[in-house]
Amino acid sequence: MRRTSFPLFVASSLILAVLASAETRPRYGGTLHVALRAAPASLEPSDHGVVDFASLIYDTLITVDQRGQSQPCLATSWQADPGNQRWRFLLRSGVTFSDGKPLTADGVAASLRIANASWKVFADAGGLIIERDSPSPYLPAELALPRNSIVKRESGKEVGTGPFVVSQWVLSKKLVLAAREDYWDGRPFLDSIEIDLGESFRDQVMALELGKTQLIEIAPVQARGAGIESLRVTKSAPAELMALVFAQPSGSAQEQQLRDAFALSIDRESLNKVVLQGGGDPAGGLLPNWMTGYEFLFPSQMDLTRAREARAEVPHADVWTLGYDPNDSVERVVAERVVLNAGEAGLRLQLAPGNTADVRLVRIPLASLDVHIALSELAAALGLPKPNYGSDSIDDLYGAENTLLQSHRVVPLLHSPHEWAIAGTVRNWTGTRDGNGRWRLPDIWVSPNKP
Amino acid sequence: MSGPSNRPVYNSPILNMLSSVLPFSESSICLLAILLLAPNVFATDWGGPEQQLASKIASATGPGAFAINVVNRSSLSLSQAEEIRRALLANLSALGVRPTNTDAAAGTVNITLSEGLQNYVWVAEIHQGSNQAQVQIVSLPRPDVASPDRATFPMTIHKTLLWTDDSRILDVALFSANPQQMIVLGAESINLYQFQQGRWQGQQSLSISHVHPWPRDLRGRLVLRKDHLFDAYLPGVFCRSTATTPLAVNCYDSDDPWPLGPAGIDPPPENAFFASTRNFFTGAISPGIGKQTTAQPFYSAAMVPRENYALWVIDGVDGQIHLLDGITNRTAGTLDWGSDIAGVHSGCGRGWQILVTGSSDTPGDTVKAFEIPDREFAVVSQAVEFAGRITALWTSSDGSSAIAISQIAETGRYEADQLSIICGQ
Repeated sequence: MRRTSFPLFVASSLILAVLASAETRPRYGGTLHVALRAAPASLEPSDHGVVDFASLIYDTLITVDQRGQSQPCLATSWQADPGNQRWRFLLRSGVTFSDGKPLTADGVAASLRIANASWKVFADAGGLIIERDSPSPYLPAELALPRNSIVKRESGKEVGTGPFVVSQWVLSKKLVLAAREDYWDGRPFLDSIEIDLGESFRDQVMALELGKTQLIEIAPVQARGAGIESLRVTKSAPAELMALVFAQPSGSAQEQQLRDAFALSIDRESLNKVVLQGGGDPAGGLLPNWMTGYEFLFPSQMDLTRAREARAEVPHADVWTLGYDPNDSVERVVAERVVLNAGEAGLRLQLAPGNTADVRLVRIPLASLDVHIALSELAAALGLPKPNYGSDSIDDLYGAENTLLQSHRVVPLLHSPHEWAIAGTVRNWTGTRDGNGRWRLPDIWVSPNKP
Repeated sequence: MSGPSNRPVYNSPILNMLSSVLPFSESSICLLAILLLAPNVFATDWGGPEQQLASKIASATGPGAFAINVVNRSSLSLSQAEEIRRALLANLSALGVRPTNTDAAAGTVNITLSEGLQNYVWVAEIHQGSNQAQVQIVSLPRPDVASPDRATFPMTIHKTLLWTDDSRILDVALFSANPQQMIVLGAESINLYQFQQGRWQGQQSLSISHVHPWPRDLRGRLVLRKDHLFDAYLPGVFCRSTATTPLAVNCYDSDDPWPLGPAGIDPPPENAFFASTRNFFTGAISPGIGKQTTAQPFYSAAMVPRENYALWVIDGVDGQIHLLDGITNRTAGTLDWGSDIAGVHSGCGRGWQILVTGSSDTPGDTVKAFEIPDREFAVVSQAVEFAGRITALWTSSDGSSAIAISQIAETGRYEADQLSIICGQ
């Protein structure tokens, strides 16, 4: 039985046609062409527009992996004294900056002092000491933020220890990076990366279709639009928070009631369907549910009846101005719909493009996959008080986030993903779960064959 | 002998990292015996969190009759969620919180089985009277996902998990001894294990000294030897062990060629030079396949013995499959193959098969067995699947099996499997 069936099977399985390329192992060489909307005015890692590619030029002491765990990078180990105010880090040996000079503890200390003026950072017995003025149990994850990249500043230039070195920099226009043969974590597969900056979403799509670019950003409204379906689109988990932030604290109980009415009046489901084409999630909390597991506890449904009741209990309500970025078409549409929703609850808002307004529409990317650092960074970006975590427990995290929301300063609207379109020749694209920065472009390689 | 300077050490707040820190840690559990019971190994004990949440709820409500609803918003299966629901209700009843319908209830307890990035998060919202809802939360770590079992086929590739580790695995070699022993080649160390009391237990860790940084996509190969225990080949580095335990290893810069094929044969049939800063063989072969001493740069090669000669299949960097028979270098074309192939002498069919990785750009990977009955390749087994990309596929030293190393996409952990071919089924 075995002998008769086997040849038949073999015969039927003969490979007569060949369809695809023979490669799964990464291939060295080639240039990756990238287009970005950001047009940074410097290569400082703290510059908002540099976040996406900072990790190509600079390293941090520690990185945070896809599960939110701290992992070694330029620091190989770390230890906190009791109280978590004083930390000691051991640095990796044999690391050099892209100018060939060795990484030293003094150099790391100087870099971190510039990024964090209030920190006491100094070299000590082959290691590095960081002293904070308050307990900092989440310091390792904080050190993984791009702004804490280790940078050597000489003659007005920034030099890093990262996998690529800057070979051309045209201010806000173009950045060309070359692979470092001596990178401590292995030479990148790509020979170089060329990044065109300040490109509109529309121009990016055209460049990809014409084969001039291999990696572009996709705007939420584009992602499910005509012409995009033929592209290879990848997206992060819904991570960017879109929210409304009041410029001033709520001074009175009546003001709080009006803000409650405002939050209840907003139809987040429709915003998600219309603006994000269903690609995001209505947000009741600051951190997304996939990260904390408890965001669903914060209500995000519109309740017009309760909104009107709350509004009716306050005899007089001023007209609020609503600020947004006039150059961002998504923000404009959202702002218009928010004004309409609020109007149905009896609240009057007036659009005021720009940053000076009673309420501002903001979009804040998730800064870290460490939940505590992510919430702290969100609070800082929103102008809210620093969250107070009693312990590591999920109850305390929930409590800290709930306190921020109860401040009546912020109204979460949506969590939206970051989306990219990638040419078929680009392999090993992993992106990141939060979709913010930390591209793993050193692991990417370009195939000469189309899939 | 371990390399403390390269081995991260963390403090207590980073508990989950400890498994990758401790040499031979108990957490590095892997084991032939356990593998057979893999689904049970990965099962989670819900008892603790069930009691914890029930206790928190009971503290908030006090004894009485409550409407209790349980909703699953997590990746737990229906049966798991149902099991947890039943246990929660039993625990609550034991604490005096009895389930009842809404009309007769003193309040409502809505329990949600949710999850975050690292943890299962179970949330109870307790509504009593007109008071604001109270929230009680417990969390427990989410386990890593185990790879599922796969179906069988006439000629079957049998996959046996040997070892898993958070750190990169380059190759694994098993050698017969009493008790059985295993060598695991990592990026920075070579670790020896002994199978005792039903599990692999660490015996020794030997650090690999190297001056230059390793290339990305690091590769390395272990070869068992007769006059000493093993040789390890890494890009630009060669390591030779001593013959007796406790072992020592001497590593030094070397561009010596790596053995191809079943390397345990002394001398090995062919050797090839590896590019020390890349991830491929240069194409220079020693002593040579017949008269052929060069081929295209390649990622991997497999030997298929014929009656009067050995046919070599070369998986080229150019994406092509080349056949070298000692005289001609024929291109078989661009096949739907991955970059890694390995020859295995199973005794089935034509005796030798080539194991071939898949070429899909998906997170998982596959291995199929092929034969070359004439001039065409023929598939002779169904694909065996892997939860992550295969990073290495080497013929074992005796040629009877292959070692496949894969990196699980979900967790980033490395897994070493022994692949052997079983005739029929």
